[in-house]
Amino acid sequence: MNVIVLKNNLKEALSIISGARKESGNLPILKNFLLETQGEKLKLSSTDLEIGINALISAKIIKEGSLVIPYNIFNQIINNLTSERISLEKKDNSLLITSDNYKAKISTVSKEDFPIIPEIKNKKANFCECESDYFIESLSSVVSACQVSDIRPELSGINFWFKNNEIKLAATDSFRLAEKTMSDKKIDFQFEKEFSFIIPLKTASEIIRIFSLKKDEKIKIFFELNQISVESENIKLFSRLIEGKFPEYEFIIPKDFETEAVMDKNDLVGALKLSGSLSNRLNEVKFITDESFKNIRVFSSSQEFGESEYLLPAKIKGTVAKVIFNWRFILDGLKNLKNQSVFIGFNGEEKASLIKSADDPSYVYIVMPIKSS
Amino acid sequence: MDLKKLWEKTLSDIELQISKPNFLTWFKNSRPIEKNEQSGTIIIGVSNNFAKEWIQSKYSKMILEIIRNLDPSINKVDYVVLTDSNINKRIYSENKKSDEQQSAGQIGFIEFAADPETNLHPKYCFKNFVVGSSNELAYAAANAVSKEPGKKYNPLFVYGGTGLGKTHLIQAIGNEILKNFKGRIKVKYVPSEKFVNDVVWAIRTKRMDDIKNKYRTVDVLIIDDIQFIGGKERSEEEFFHTFNILYQNNKQIILSSDRPPSQIPTLEDRLRSRFEGGMIADITYPDYEMKLAIIKNKTLEKNIIFPEEVNHIIAVKIQRNIREIEGIINKLFFYKEFKNNELDAKTTEEIINATLQQNMVNINPQMVIKCVSDFFEINPQDITNKSRRKEVVMPRQIVMFLLRDMLGMSYPDIGDKLGKRDHTTAIHSYNKISGKIMSDKNLNQKIVLIKESINKSRS
Repeated sequence: MNVIVLKNNLKEALSIISGARKESGNLPILKNFLLETQGEKLKLSSTDLEIGINALISAKIIKEGSLVIPYNIFNQIINNLTSERISLEKKDNSLLITSDNYKAKISTVSKEDFPIIPEIKNKKANFCECESDYFIESLSSVVSACQVSDIRPELSGINFWFKNNEIKLAATDSFRLAEKTMSDKKIDFQFEKEFSFIIPLKTASEIIRIFSLKKDEKIKIFFELNQISVESENIKLFSRLIEGKFPEYEFIIPKDFETEAVMDKNDLVGALKLSGSLSNRLNEVKFITDESFKNIRVFSSSQEFGESEYLLPAKIKGTVAKVIFNWRFILDGLKNLKNQSVFIGFNGEEKASLIKSADDPSYVYIVMPIKSS
Repeated sequence: MDLKKLWEKTLSDIELQISKPNFLTWFKNSRPIEKNEQSGTIIIGVSNNFAKEWIQSKYSKMILEIIRNLDPSINKVDYVVLTDSNINKRIYSENKKSDEQQSAGQIGFIEFAADPETNLHPKYCFKNFVVGSSNELAYAAANAVSKEPGKKYNPLFVYGGTGLGKTHLIQAIGNEILKNFKGRIKVKYVPSEKFVNDVVWAIRTKRMDDIKNKYRTVDVLIIDDIQFIGGKERSEEEFFHTFNILYQNNKQIILSSDRPPSQIPTLEDRLRSRFEGGMIADITYPDYEMKLAIIKNKTLEKNIIFPEEVNHIIAVKIQRNIREIEGIINKLFFYKEFKNNELDAKTTEEIINATLQQNMVNINPQMVIKCVSDFFEINPQDITNKSRRKEVVMPRQIVMFLLRDMLGMSYPDIGDKLGKRDHTTAIHSYNKISGKIMSDKNLNQKIVLIKESINKSRS
């Protein structure tokens, strides 16, 4: 193999594939990545056997070929090089890296041992296609509600539910749940029948990390029984799916509320952050709607440091609500609302409350309260 | 040679030929799925897609050679990705405890606690179900069903008052079947309320097929509190057809209710006769020894031990509801933990009395009269007037009994409230009913139902 590439292209590709390698574990080969020529391009691939990522970059191919080298060493070298043009040449079992004022020889690893990244063979049956911006925005809006640990495998990922003419994304850690509906106006898709799958949280984070750099690109998502692949022109991310079934959550989304309140988003964010600074270990913040129906009083107290009260102007309907929440949970949901006007539907101190934009039905966030002690 | 043995032998051969890390990475959790005798193909399940690709491209030749040495009739090996690895399931139940401890105060979606595939809650199993004379029959039937679902006792109908362990028992059957048949049998547990909701949803969105798919493709269908389906016509109809299809295909059906089929008032006859066609088992009130065993079991689960006398007091004081026992134990546990006090007989009694009385707050004589008259479908005024008609006398006696039993009212007061009767009438009624309860199961059942409806009307 003998190629010449631009440093910045190489750096970008290295960053794209960085999330899918494994520095420790049974198979030391996973610390390495695969560098190979593919037509007029250079392809970098890495995998941790859960996710596999390929990135294609343009390069001048002098001689075709492929090799496997340790990621960390190569990445360090490329990041510290000052020259723009880099020549990569394979000689015997080594890779020669040459630039204007630098040369290095690093030993390669046997290519035979590098895992094969699976591909989805049938790309006609089940896929969807949309702008990366919209997809990334939708996915990002639900990940914060996802369960971080492995306690319940089926909750440690984002559920994709393809039905009729929409895709519903949902995540929950069993204390709160976020759901985003992607409509067919902004997304093309084709699938055989209504079905759903769960992508692991790590895969979702990688998708967001990689494709949020790639604005204005179309991305395609292909899926099969237990695998998914997300592809743009030059990037391909393959991942396994989580086995198991996401809970049927539709019926826990409340439709009616004892108390309804509409307020300004910035006011509420301010209230939460201020109250949060004086809340206790459980992040408890108490919401009480005023009897005048013009304000929500937000209380917090910490045995150690003191207490606070914030008067939050709001339009309120219904009965007087008195509910305690983990303020971080509320803030997580608020971050994803686009409009200034926020709706909260309360259902007493033991049932789920619902947060959404007052005029955007495509995103709902429901959160369970903390029991008053 | 059977397939499992064959694969085991193959694996031990492969292990000799490739490195340990490679073996662990690619062949962990692999297992044979089936063998097609005609074409000589065997199918091997592997843990993920990476393993499938890798084995196919790197090891398939070696594996085929090894297998053909062991069994020459095989000439092809196919690989599939396993979708039901049991590894995940294990993590799920083991970590359940730490999960609950972390979230003190923060309420979660209770609906999510159950396994989403089957709806069964892993905490219900036979192991922690206390068996005594009151539930022996139901337990034995449950046990038989879990060994051979669909063959014996179909449908199995379990009935008994609230908090006596119906849900525990029928969910335990489900969990036991899952354990015994490891994924080969599809179990679904559903409270009848959810079934009704599903039917309503399906009618609204015109997706009856979804319902049919969901409920008619299972091997074991468990429906809790089936009495709530009574009077809901479309749900009854849908359930009737589901029942027939499952029954004809020898699929097991398990039902629970707070009363026997004959006493579910609005139930259609064709359903009633079907419910009665299998095995009907009741769960009645636990006796003293059984309650003691339950208390010990529950405390053991929480890793605490109460003094013997405390256990004794709980068993004596809490008459009928096992759920109440659980509540009391939690309360006592809390007391012990946070006040750092050892429990003695006196405090235990105080705590129990406070709890029991709290339950009775908000109940007034009018509610008792209304619930009793509703139950017997008579006019509430008949209870308080002078009528001596037969259909009124018994309900009136029951009201007096309940006023004494539940509210602890004095006899003169009771007599006064019920149309200025003499206190001796009240005494007579109370003694008569409380005596009869012991011998007359039917009456006992009625009184339990009335008490439940009083408790419900309280809020």
